[in-house]
Amino acid sequence: MHKSAINSKKLKKGLRGWLTACPFILPGLILVGLFILYPMVFTIRISLSEYQIVQGKITFIGLQNFKNVLAGGSRFWYAYRNNILYAIVTVPFIILGGMLFSYLINNLKHGGSIFRVGFYLPVITSWVIVSLVFQYMFNNSDRGLINYLLVDVFHILDDYVPWLLREWSGNAAIWLMGIWKNMGWAMLIYLAALQGIPADYYEAAKLDGAGLWKSFAYITIPCLRPTTFYVMVNMIIGSFNVFIQVLMLTGGNPNGKTSALQYLLYDKAFNKFEFGEASAVGLISAVSIVILTLVLNKTFKLDSVEKEG
Amino acid sequence: MKKSILKAISLLMVAILIMSCLSGCSKSAEKVAEDEKAPLGSTGSESSSSVKDEEITLTFWHTYGDAEEAQLKNEVLPMWEKSHPNIKIDAVRQDGGQFHQMIVTSFGTGMSPDVARVDIANIAAYAKQGGLVALSDYSDFSDLAKDYMDAPLSTNLYQGKYYGLPLDTNCKAAVINTNIMGELGINGAPTTMEEFIAAAKDRGSYSLNVSGVGDWDMYPYFWLFGGTLTDDGFTKATGYLDSEASVNAMKKIIELHDEKIFTIRDIDGSVDAWDGINSEYAMFFEGPWYFGSYDDCAAKGIIASTIPTFNGNSASVVGGEDIAVFATGKHPEVSYEFAKFMTSKDVQLAMLKSGQLPILKSLVNDEAITSNPVWSVYMKQLESAKARIPSPNNTAIQEIWSETVTSIFIDGVDPQSALSSAAARIDEELR
Repeated sequence: MHKSAINSKKLKKGLRGWLTACPFILPGLILVGLFILYPMVFTIRISLSEYQIVQGKITFIGLQNFKNVLAGGSRFWYAYRNNILYAIVTVPFIILGGMLFSYLINNLKHGGSIFRVGFYLPVITSWVIVSLVFQYMFNNSDRGLINYLLVDVFHILDDYVPWLLREWSGNAAIWLMGIWKNMGWAMLIYLAALQGIPADYYEAAKLDGAGLWKSFAYITIPCLRPTTFYVMVNMIIGSFNVFIQVLMLTGGNPNGKTSALQYLLYDKAFNKFEFGEASAVGLISAVSIVILTLVLNKTFKLDSVEKEG
Repeated sequence: MKKSILKAISLLMVAILIMSCLSGCSKSAEKVAEDEKAPLGSTGSESSSSVKDEEITLTFWHTYGDAEEAQLKNEVLPMWEKSHPNIKIDAVRQDGGQFHQMIVTSFGTGMSPDVARVDIANIAAYAKQGGLVALSDYSDFSDLAKDYMDAPLSTNLYQGKYYGLPLDTNCKAAVINTNIMGELGINGAPTTMEEFIAAAKDRGSYSLNVSGVGDWDMYPYFWLFGGTLTDDGFTKATGYLDSEASVNAMKKIIELHDEKIFTIRDIDGSVDAWDGINSEYAMFFEGPWYFGSYDDCAAKGIIASTIPTFNGNSASVVGGEDIAVFATGKHPEVSYEFAKFMTSKDVQLAMLKSGQLPILKSLVNDEAITSNPVWSVYMKQLESAKARIPSPNNTAIQEIWSETVTSIFIDGVDPQSALSSAAARIDEELR
């Protein structure tokens, strides 16, 4: 009797706690449910169905959309490969560039703000505007800056090249734009991290006879390790979101060889009405990102890095 | 006390949020349910008498350029409003580059227009999605259809029904720089491709240009040199696209490319045709809008001409737009009235002033056309112009074609095997 009275008291207390918490939790829960969970569940459903958008007719077809997407000869594999290549190529440049420029700017006695703004400007510039500039640079014939310089000015090449319509030069333009656009962000993060390195380390190194390079190699780089992991994880995950560069610069040409997963998704849904396959591409991307995050966490032991940081 | 008031306010806010979300969902769900219940074409149960009494606004999406839009607003819409004072037209100009995507999005959000000017290549795809009203279900359609030219009308056909009316038509014809032709020893426009090829062979630089490898760009050349895509009923590509004649046509294009007579901008990185025709190229094929974009063509010695014949035949590709009534619109009958109005003789003549070629048989020999040196050429060229494959899978077919031509010119794939593979893939899309 005594025990059940305690239990009911506990239950009441728990319920009261829940009721008190509900008003604070519910709005967030509802929003997450509406804008994250519901679309997610709907996407899974569409990926297993044939979806006729006007009538809202959804016919279950099992894994057929996944089979079509993953089939040999599909543009999916080029897109997947390009996302991985984008990460492999751009992330090291962004990290090294961001670290180097932040270190240089941090050591400047005058004009640091100008360089900070200058390097950060690409980050806040519209992707569309930057894409148009890149389009001009890689344009055909002598109407494009690169062609004009290589063929007409320096005579390095004999013929003009349609840079954006070739597999590797098109991909290179996409990578270059990604590096240029994101390096400023990495620079700013590193700049903030550099403020946290005690000046004593550098003074001690100086007394021991270390120059600028040795200080950078043996003090700056190790101290920036947690920041480097943070930038790297962000950039690698971000590389699965490449879209505007592809849409604006190459359109996936030639034959989908410069495509990326997000562009493929867009192309399937909005150009071909293949909403099921588009959802399948979206889900495969999402699963890939989750796996990648887990692997990165495990490989670089990010939890301990955070603790160190 | 204070705590319980705070709790009550919080609960009230949560309740309001839930209610607003649910009411939003239920409204859209009701609308979808209503749309689902209403069979296509039957939503027009509204009687014309009730339409006459109430004020209606129809949303009309289009992608007209500046000159065409001015003509629409200043001449055409006032004509409509005069005869239909209670029906207003909200003409919305959309970005041409993303128009198809806008329509797809509108299908998903239920925010489609009542009527839209749609690219002829997309009608079948929208019809397959159930997004368009089958206009051939209306009783007066068969009489109306007799007035339209056959090729533009056929672009509205999907599974035995017509889902739009032809609105304007065009095709590609030859744009010729007579000064460069003169340098090649040809006075004015060449009559045959054989004559042009012989003259351009030793020039040492490209004389003929096409922008890309897509269907709109390459079909005219492929057809001109004897290639075929499918049977007449558009049911099969095998045996046609990979036939000896088609392979020879592709080989002819490759030969001209190898001889530096013909350049594909997207393959060679060469100057765009619109730019290069002023100083580098002798000829390229383009729609009538090229001449609508420049006032100084005659001064520069640039003229329109029918595409020179090869083996005695000319060829071109049909372009243009249809006007379609959307199934999600509230007033399909009124929308159909507006669509018919846009294809009427007066409107077609009014839009012709801005370069929109008419689709009415009765206007083919109209003086307004025959007296114009550009429009007369395009109307003449239409006689040998063919339609692209009308299929809801048109985008996929375009992709197969582009991939095939790219593989031939960039990867050096053998034309026979490339076309055979393309034919098999197109067969799949036509099933």
